[in-house]
Amino acid sequence: MSSPFWTAFGDWYLFNIDALLLIGTYYFLKLKKEEKANSYYWLPFLIIAFTVFYENLGAYTNYNFEFKKSVNALLGNTEFPKYNLWLYNIANKQLSTVLYLFLIKTWLEPSQKKYINWMVIVFVIVSIFLQIAGIEPLYLNQPIIFSMGANMILVGSGLYFIGLITNQYYLNTNPLKLLSFWQMTFLLFTYSLTYINSMTVIYLYEINPQLGISIVQIDRVLGILNKVTLVLIITSPLLKKVFVKEPIFGVA
Amino acid sequence: MNPSEDQIYVIIFSTLFLGGLMSTFVVAMVFIHRQRQAQNKQKLDQIKSEHEKTLLNIENEIQQDTLTHVGRELHDNIGQLLSLAKLYLGSSKPEKQQEGKETINQVISEVRALSKNLNLDWVESLTIEEFIEQQLQKIESTGFCKTTFEHSIELGELPKDQKLVLIRVIQEILNNAMKHASPEEIKVKIWKDGATRTIQIKDNGKGFDTSIESSGSGMYNLKKRMETIGGDVSITSSIGNGTLIHLLLPN
Repeated sequence: MSSPFWTAFGDWYLFNIDALLLIGTYYFLKLKKEEKANSYYWLPFLIIAFTVFYENLGAYTNYNFEFKKSVNALLGNTEFPKYNLWLYNIANKQLSTVLYLFLIKTWLEPSQKKYINWMVIVFVIVSIFLQIAGIEPLYLNQPIIFSMGANMILVGSGLYFIGLITNQYYLNTNPLKLLSFWQMTFLLFTYSLTYINSMTVIYLYEINPQLGISIVQIDRVLGILNKVTLVLIITSPLLKKVFVKEPIFGVA
Repeated sequence: MNPSEDQIYVIIFSTLFLGGLMSTFVVAMVFIHRQRQAQNKQKLDQIKSEHEKTLLNIENEIQQDTLTHVGRELHDNIGQLLSLAKLYLGSSKPEKQQEGKETINQVISEVRALSKNLNLDWVESLTIEEFIEQQLQKIESTGFCKTTFEHSIELGELPKDQKLVLIRVIQEILNNAMKHASPEEIKVKIWKDGATRTIQIKDNGKGFDTSIESSGSGMYNLKKRMETIGGDVSITSSIGNGTLIHLLLPN
């Protein structure tokens, strides 16, 4: 039970997200053709699949130290070969943030979608600049990029909630029966609760590793809740009695 | 307590503070949503009741007009025909008695035609184009003025409430033209521009100053009535230059 493989992959978080991907895939394949082509369904599926991919790759880097060391060396990091932050930086802090911004965009009314487009453009350009300029190397903690992404997600959530209390479509529904409402709430909590500890994660691990690990669990629990909501979005055509239909504004 | 412990407490406290802030935000949003939903429902109910009130008023007005028309017909037409029939039937001459029977038959058909006007079923069987034609024919038959009617599209079957409002609005515009404008000609046109269907009513009468309007004016009523069915009205007029009215129908 204590083999390196089990140490790397035998994690409750990985088991859960792998199971959620299996459930999500099953129900995604059961969707009608036009539903599969709708970003309201394929974007959550893509986010789950992508998360499972990078989390497992992360586990693999812990299993195969040589691989992790060689990637770190390739990126110019010979000082901390144990770090796999490069993977979480690019996949979790950058690409996932962009995917979540696109997900938020599908729930916004057309007039507000342009703000998300601009946020994504600014986020991508500034992130690339900060990494190329060496201000925030890919293999170390990236507090500026994370705080920028988190702020954008929080602004996107704000736009969604403004729509929720002003848009006629949303005013005609019960928000507690809207999956978008729960997804936005969990996103809001994920990015706000992990806001400070994501920026101070290395410091926390150095000063009080036990506390650092405990605080990271918040991110994982909320991550699971996020993925559960994404699966529920995919299965929503079968849960018409529980959740109300979203006012889909399409992708612009 | 050393400085690193302090910093850890700051991190924990800040995280909890942000969590609390977000919880408050989400709960507040749900409360505001509920409040707005209630306000919205109240507003919708008000619009609905105003719409129903307007429709009821319109139905009453149409029925009142119909009753006036029926009364006039009974007095001027049917009453006369019955008096004539009485005279014919009182005669000992068989040809006069025959004429009397024919007059009675005419009375029967006139009464049948009148009875159809007594309820609003005729609104459903009549198209707006047919109604306009009937109204213009009535105007022409009185010798009041010339009329023309052109329509490049068929309005088709409209919902009863829309039809009622349109009938009343058109009737009001034509009545106003006859009462106040003394025109030589009234032109009615129906066309479609993009998705907008328009009924244009134009007269070359006296015209009026559109800047003088009050909430109780006919113009205001027309606008309000058209708005209840999701349409609109535009009025162009000036003294001595006739009146041009566009009724924009709901899509």
